[in-house]
Amino acid sequence: MEFKRFLVNKLILFFMLSTLITVAVALLGTAFDSQARLGYDSLLAPVKYAGLCLLPTLVTWSRHELSVKQLLLRKVLMLVLLETVILLIGYTSPVIDTDRLEVVLALAGSVLLIFALANLFQWLRASAEAKELNRELARFQDQHG
Amino acid sequence: MELRIEQIGTGEREEILIRCHEVTDQVREIAAFIKSRQGSLSGTAEQKQYEIAVADLCYIESVDGRTFLYTSNRVYESAYRIYELEEMLKSKHFLRISKAMLVNLMKIQSIQPAFNGRFTANLRSGEKIIISRSYVKALKAALKGE
Repeated sequence: MEFKRFLVNKLILFFMLSTLITVAVALLGTAFDSQARLGYDSLLAPVKYAGLCLLPTLVTWSRHELSVKQLLLRKVLMLVLLETVILLIGYTSPVIDTDRLEVVLALAGSVLLIFALANLFQWLRASAEAKELNRELARFQDQHG
Repeated sequence: MELRIEQIGTGEREEILIRCHEVTDQVREIAAFIKSRQGSLSGTAEQKQYEIAVADLCYIESVDGRTFLYTSNRVYESAYRIYELEEMLKSKHFLRISKAMLVNLMKIQSIQPAFNGRFTANLRSGEKIIISRSYVKALKAALKGE
């Protein structure tokens, strides 16, 4: 993949992650610490986390096209790195109560869910592209058949 | 057999329709002749030389420096390199979809997403081939006639 296209994809992923992390933080916060009052700096947290989560996704970069097996392997590695990054953030953050097992599990679970949703959105985007290609193909074949 | 030639407007699709009671050898011969008028390629299979109508080719693949021509039911080996065939068949609706593959756009039934920006082309023959992500842009342009 061209590096430029790779970066554009990462930028799209960054915005997608920011949104999903905001939703996850809101849901987890409501569930585990609904009385907490946050400052303006908290608004930047999803953006910071999304930026940090983007780093492990760099393992999927390759100048050559990866086989399905290679890609799956790299995606698993990426998920492991993502879980590590988020849990490290959790354990070093003073506002996240990592002494409670359910908080740690919810944190790890939300990473898995966001990972699955991000992949689902990418798949939906590819499906829309395929639909457009099929429309163009039908028009082409009709014109030249 | 009655022969009818009908002149149509430029906006309409040209076609040759053979209406017959039975697909006899004579009908097959006529069909083969029409296809051969659209171009043909030499290929070998089981040490025999064949002339294959370009319109019958589904895709062309290069494997370990050897080039293979795939129709819906047979595989032939070609003496040409894939880049030579790419050049020769440009005007016959063939397009490169990966480093080692050319596809006949008229033989694609549908396209579906595959992993990581790639797509799968489902051919009318039932085969599935991968469209490499670096060739997707060229495919879009070709389909739009750019």
